[in-house]
Amino acid sequence: MEIRAVANSLTFRYIVKYVTVLSATVFLLQGIFYLYFSYTSFKDLGDSVVDELETLQVVYRGQSLDGVKQYIADRLASPSVNRFYYLVTDQSGAKVTGDLPVAPRYREFDDGWLGFELALQNWGESIDVDFLARPLDLGDGYKAIVARDYADIVERAELVFRTLFRVMIATVILGIVGGFFSASRALNQVEQLNREISRIVRAGPGQRLQVQDDKGYIGALATVMNQMLDQMETLMQGVRRVSDNIAHDLRTPLTRMRNNLSQLHDRLVRAEQEQLDRIIAECDDLLSSFNALLRISALESGSRLAGGHDVELCALLCDVVELYEPLAHERGIELVLDAPHPQVCKGEADLLFQMFANIMDNSLKYTPPGGKIRVQLRTAVGGAGHTVRIDDSGPGIPVGERKNVFRRFYRVESSRGEHPGHGLGLSLVQAIAQYHHGTVELAGNHPGLQVRVQLP
Amino acid sequence: MNVLLVEDDKQVGEFIVAELHAAGHSCVHALDGEAGQRAAADTAYDVMVIDRMMPRIDGLALIKSLREVGNQTPVLVLSALGDVNDRVQGLHCGADDYLVKPFAMVELLARLEVLHRRVSSPGSEMQTKLVVEDLSMDLLRQHVQRQDTPIHLQPREYKLLEYLMRHAGQVVTRAMLLEHVWGYHFDPQTNVIDVHVSRLRQKIDKDFEQPLLTTVRGAGYRLGPSLDN
Repeated sequence: MEIRAVANSLTFRYIVKYVTVLSATVFLLQGIFYLYFSYTSFKDLGDSVVDELETLQVVYRGQSLDGVKQYIADRLASPSVNRFYYLVTDQSGAKVTGDLPVAPRYREFDDGWLGFELALQNWGESIDVDFLARPLDLGDGYKAIVARDYADIVERAELVFRTLFRVMIATVILGIVGGFFSASRALNQVEQLNREISRIVRAGPGQRLQVQDDKGYIGALATVMNQMLDQMETLMQGVRRVSDNIAHDLRTPLTRMRNNLSQLHDRLVRAEQEQLDRIIAECDDLLSSFNALLRISALESGSRLAGGHDVELCALLCDVVELYEPLAHERGIELVLDAPHPQVCKGEADLLFQMFANIMDNSLKYTPPGGKIRVQLRTAVGGAGHTVRIDDSGPGIPVGERKNVFRRFYRVESSRGEHPGHGLGLSLVQAIAQYHHGTVELAGNHPGLQVRVQLP
Repeated sequence: MNVLLVEDDKQVGEFIVAELHAAGHSCVHALDGEAGQRAAADTAYDVMVIDRMMPRIDGLALIKSLREVGNQTPVLVLSALGDVNDRVQGLHCGADDYLVKPFAMVELLARLEVLHRRVSSPGSEMQTKLVVEDLSMDLLRQHVQRQDTPIHLQPREYKLLEYLMRHAGQVVTRAMLLEHVWGYHFDPQTNVIDVHVSRLRQKIDKDFEQPLLTTVRGAGYRLGPSLDN
């Protein structure tokens, strides 16, 4: 897993591409250099042979065959590592002068060039050496061949090749190391940015990107993105404020109306009273929607829990279950609590009670008679983090809807009309869980719904 | 019951005054904290209703200063702030009860009567026996009986009945029951309390001719002889 994580990382994939391109580039450049070097070396060799032939021609014209003999004898006597080899033949093909044997086995190349192999005595050893040679008619039936061995050039080319190969390896290694450092620095920032954004997505509004280097281009990007987040939040707050204001402003007249209606109650006859009771009940529903909406807003927009009191979750869940037990009993639902050990977490007891009561309300609402609701408290080893699971045997919530039900006023289509409710219960649950630095998740219970609340 | 109302919102204030008058109570309305402080120093009231956010002296500061000079009149705080912390803070300053705006008038009336009764019949916390008509509760033995029949109650039912008996004859709202019997302040979305009350009613009223536990429409419950008779 670790290796796959590394292989999948942005840095690694970038480095692989970078090394491939770098190696190809270095290989190509050094290949061109090597070819050019080899070509010019051989060209120089050829040019020098042609020059020597021209010199022989000039000498022959000026001083005839004796001059040529003298010239070659002088050249052969002078000590030189890289020297020319000569052969001058007469009309019958017999050797006149020179140090090459007559007619070695030539290979003919283009443009009148010849190549042959000849064993030379070198410090008492016989070594086969490759020669490059060119013939020329001096005139009067005399022919000259000037040859030169090119073992030194091949040796030099091999040296150059070996050097280039080492340089290439060094370049690639240095390139990888350098590229790794510079890329990992830049890409670390990108990955840091990635992590930061994921964190913001998880943690919700109010969070901003934090990058170590706020001057580089990543820093500039983070700044721009933070400005974008600011704008989004301002817009969101605007929308929320409008709905809050509506709820807030309507609450007071609605309460007054409810109060007046309840005064009216005693003055009516029984049939009218029943009708009025329904109106009052609707007023109360509306008011509780508004209150829930405002509570959610207050929890979401305010800062999260700091400190808090010690709340004993086992006792709290006992109280919740005890409160709802008669209602469950009345509906023929079995309600079971499994919280074996007292567990303390930091929080606000009233809010936590509200949260579990809302979940319980929901479960009771959707679980059919004869069903079962099970409340379970588990604590991670070491007391870090508590999980409360509420499993019911109701119809559950389709996977695709599980995120949506936390949205305000959202109700699963199939439950509209069938069950009463204003679609704020789970929004409040989520707001309270998040206020406590916790999370709430929904899962399937085969059949039914499992609500999982994680508290730190 | 003589009530002092300190409320800067004229409309809300006038509404509360009218309602209190209609319920047969007398009420003085002060429009800001300073006027409230003067009024409280002049006359002894049975209960005070103080708005939390007011110009000049805010509600909580007013309660603090009243408590400092030895004024022990029960206070109910009205507030638009409904946060848990706001509530705790309010009760810390010496307030006896806390009601979030907007509220149903029956809720305010019920709470004021309870506050008033607590002061007017001191020592009720020390009683060892509660009696309402032919229903009696022995607080030491935790024993309940009606006429001569013992009634067996679950612990929560016992607490519920104890609270109702201590406030016999008064309207007790569902929110008050949740706060005092269950000890939590929250909004139930369903009629959980009603189910508990009807269970209790089964046990104390079922086999007897005169019902004691009655539902008050739109408000809550009352324990005591039926008002119809």
